[in-house]
Amino acid sequence: MTEVLPKFELLTPTTLIDVVAALSKNPDATICAGGTDLVVQLRMGLAETKTLVDISNIAELKQITKTSVGLRIGAGVTLADLEANADVASDYPAIVKAAEVVAGPTHRAVATLGGNLCLDTRCLYYNQSHWWRKSNGFCLKYKGDICHVAPKGNRCRAAYSGDLAPALLVLDAEIEILGENGTRRIPLAEFYHEDGAQHLKLEAGEIVVAAHIPPIQSISDYGKIRVRDSIDFPLAGVAVSCRKTEPGEACFSVAATGTNSMPVLVTTEERLTNNVDSDAFFEALGKLVQKVVSPQRTSSIAPHYRRLSAAATVIRLAKGLL
Amino acid sequence: MSMNGGTSAIGRPVPLVDGIEKVTGKALYTADLDSRGTLSGRILRASVSHARILSIDTSRASALPGVCAVITGQDCDKTYGVIPIAMNEYPMARDKIRYLGEPIAAVAAIDADTAAHALELIDVEIEELAACYTAAQSRAPDAPLLHADKPGNLEREVHHTFGSVSDGFAEADLVREEVFDCAEINHAQMEPHAALAEYEPIRERLTLHSVSQVPFYVHLTLASCLDMDTSRIRVVKPFVGGGFGARTETLNFEIIVALLARKVGGKVMMQLTREETFLTHRGRPKTRVKLKIGLTKTGKITAAECEAVMSGGAYAGYGIVTILYAGALLHGLYDIPNIKYDGYRVYTNHPPCGAMRGHGTVDVRHSFEALLDRMSRELGLDPFTLRRANLLKAPMFTANGLMINSYGLDECLNKVEAASEWTHRKDNLPDGRGLGMACSHYVSGAAKPVHWTGEPHAVVSMKLDFDGSVTVLTGASDIGQGSTTIVALAAAEIINIDLGRVRVVTNDSVITPKDNGSYSSRVTFMVGNAAIEAAKALQAKLVDAAAELLDALPEEIECEAETYFVKGSAQSELSFHDVAIKALAKEGTITVKGTFSTPIEAQGGKHRGGAVGSTMGFSYAAQVVEVSVDETTGQIDIEQVWAALDCGYAINPLAVEGQIEGSVWMGMGQGLCEETNYINGLPTHASLTDYCVPTMAESPPIDVQIVESIDPLGPFGAKEAGEGALSGFPPALVNAVADAVGLDVNFLPLIPDRILEALTKYRRAQRRKETVK
Repeated sequence: MTEVLPKFELLTPTTLIDVVAALSKNPDATICAGGTDLVVQLRMGLAETKTLVDISNIAELKQITKTSVGLRIGAGVTLADLEANADVASDYPAIVKAAEVVAGPTHRAVATLGGNLCLDTRCLYYNQSHWWRKSNGFCLKYKGDICHVAPKGNRCRAAYSGDLAPALLVLDAEIEILGENGTRRIPLAEFYHEDGAQHLKLEAGEIVVAAHIPPIQSISDYGKIRVRDSIDFPLAGVAVSCRKTEPGEACFSVAATGTNSMPVLVTTEERLTNNVDSDAFFEALGKLVQKVVSPQRTSSIAPHYRRLSAAATVIRLAKGLL
Repeated sequence: MSMNGGTSAIGRPVPLVDGIEKVTGKALYTADLDSRGTLSGRILRASVSHARILSIDTSRASALPGVCAVITGQDCDKTYGVIPIAMNEYPMARDKIRYLGEPIAAVAAIDADTAAHALELIDVEIEELAACYTAAQSRAPDAPLLHADKPGNLEREVHHTFGSVSDGFAEADLVREEVFDCAEINHAQMEPHAALAEYEPIRERLTLHSVSQVPFYVHLTLASCLDMDTSRIRVVKPFVGGGFGARTETLNFEIIVALLARKVGGKVMMQLTREETFLTHRGRPKTRVKLKIGLTKTGKITAAECEAVMSGGAYAGYGIVTILYAGALLHGLYDIPNIKYDGYRVYTNHPPCGAMRGHGTVDVRHSFEALLDRMSRELGLDPFTLRRANLLKAPMFTANGLMINSYGLDECLNKVEAASEWTHRKDNLPDGRGLGMACSHYVSGAAKPVHWTGEPHAVVSMKLDFDGSVTVLTGASDIGQGSTTIVALAAAEIINIDLGRVRVVTNDSVITPKDNGSYSSRVTFMVGNAAIEAAKALQAKLVDAAAELLDALPEEIECEAETYFVKGSAQSELSFHDVAIKALAKEGTITVKGTFSTPIEAQGGKHRGGAVGSTMGFSYAAQVVEVSVDETTGQIDIEQVWAALDCGYAINPLAVEGQIEGSVWMGMGQGLCEETNYINGLPTHASLTDYCVPTMAESPPIDVQIVESIDPLGPFGAKEAGEGALSGFPPALVNAVADAVGLDVNFLPLIPDRILEALTKYRRAQRRKETVK
């Protein structure tokens, strides 16, 4: 159905064990924390589920702990709490910079790290009402056969649009996942798949429980490109971290969101050294970003703009971190 | 609120009298109304842009348990439309679909779920037709016709010439011509559309509660479409969450919900989603303006030639008026002796456009002020100097017959020039930062109404009864602009009573006098004047009663702060209550009436379409915008805005300030980031996530100054304040961007990808010029 909220059963487990049990008992269940994207999807007929598992009260998911091996952020930590955390702000500024530009303040009060990392991909042909999508013959991502963005292609081009992922990627984060068979931990970069219809490497019955970030070795920043300064999803979002290796030497790590069906790491072996002309270095970095990101017509803004502004923002942020 | 001796109710900032209800959540909007025993109504909308309807089978939907009624275009064979000579829209499409999203059927069911499910069970057979999405496509010789009686898909052509433009251009030292493309935009008012209809089968009476700005027009339209006598219909307007023109005509869902209610013999509530609200549309059309201006080297405008082509959507609606307004208000701002205007209102297979704040005039004014700015640069003239070379002198009539009795534009110019420190800042701003200015104006109501019956333009009643309260009854639709407060203030001011003694009852056709509605900014001028006349009538009766009690002549009675006394005699004081009782003793409950009509000379020129643009008076505005431009991303930040508006007199300066800020802000949306977007008729903007209305994060500080030219005919000297400043923002923005980075753009809105593209091309061209040197 469309804008009427469909009927569903709401389960409210209090521990993680109960969450996993609920998920295994209800294979078509969907996890709901802040629900700021999910509820919209339910009203638009994009998410069809008879069961919601409310994890907003699971204490185990809401911790931020700093130890000698780094920072562990629970997947249930709200973006508002993340913004306000002093350790995160001082050690990993890119995370705070990313958190504080997601949507609006009322979203951030309930939206979570886990929800943002697992954010569904977006496309102007997909994020529409049931009536709209039916009028358009649906699409490859949901109920249809063609990707309207790239009709000759064979995969969904919807854009990954979470802001936190690139920030965590440049900080070498790992993601901790809990399922029926226990916990696993993988680099965040291995959590995603370049397919707009199936972008998360999450098995049935699994839930993201935390992000782990190694101790600080760099300074970092995040910049978001969008038409308005609030509410909008990223046309492109870029995170940059800068590690000063030796005096006069720095190496950069860059990641982008909003441009591909997954957040992308832009890897480069090049370092800024005293022997290298810095303007040429940053220009080359910008060109590399342009090459790696692959924005499509998933929004009404020209894809090439998203490419150019992503590169320009990377250069600006990188220079600022020096 | 208590009053000090000798101070007025008017001319001081007053919170809107219904503000408490709004901010505490007590205010009831249409969707909040009593839902007991109410069925849920839902519309089935066309999934194609242009098609013949071959058949509609509703049997499966009717058979669904919980469905109480299903209707289609076969249930209403009457066309409707806000302009009596251009009514070509059916509430539900009959033989043809003309835009994607057009209503073709509707259901009433026991709940929203069932209603939505029922829509899926309606089978529609169509024969698809080729669609026209642009004015160029629609005007092509072999274009499919949307309406058989409209060749060339033209709703209206306008050709107006005043003076001789060829002479004017010959006189000019500089002639320039440019083309501007302004995107279609939507009002995006906060409240989605809703309507509640109740039909009593035994009495055969219909009651409609709706979001309308024009309950009177809705009333007439319901009578026509339902083939009912107007006396059996009641229209009520609850609180409305914004109009801006979205609701200045009867809307299809208002008729559809009434048809459903009659079919079920009960109550049906229809709440449209935001997507449906966007599809109902009636926004500002996409307009291409071709403009040529001639200037002398001192900046005097010698001639202006303008062509406007509007892509108006699938039905006539306000189309004729919109294309006429675009040309009419080329006049009335500056002294221009020679003006030629050609306007074309074109049909396209998109949701129909309508009236939107600044109706018809905005895109032309934008083009004019932007082109003037470029020409002033070429002549080496300061833009303020250029404006000052072209001021009008009131009182006067424009070449196209529009009346001007008050003109505060020069004071507006002085105020914003000073406040922005234009003179010494303009050429001293850092790179990437710029200042731009523009002027604008708007009518205070159309002097000739849409439904010309010969009746007064506005009627206000007032009642005084045993409780000593004064009730003002008005059909004026408060849509958030504060019209209810205006009539209350008029009563308080004239009768010298506390605002707390006044209540206002609005918009119930059974109780309140008819009002034409809240459009073209008519309410303060027309209803305000009617309220003053009513209040004077009531005051006269009270003064007579006081005179009797004080054994004096009426002309010897003075009244101040709820007290009546004989001039010069302090001992003889009477309270309002005592005087009221005496007045009531004569005739019982006192009811009085005040009216307002526009004099014939205000009603515009004799030429065809001359009534459009006619008004009792124009508001005038000048605006300065400061921007900073990020050349690497094309992002524009509005740093500050200074605006001054001549509203004649600020009856409530708090409300006037709010209206000026709102106008500037809405112009900012049009300038910076708002536009509708369709892919083969499918709207990709139909949510508040995708339709980019600026947020608080982009909102600049707006410095507002009020200019009072005291219009001789306005209520307390007032003119309109709600639309005048809007059309000055987009050109001031474009001019500021030119000042900041040297780039002139001819499109709206200035979204970053287009700015970056234009900047890149411009820088490349500049570099080429440098190398050639």
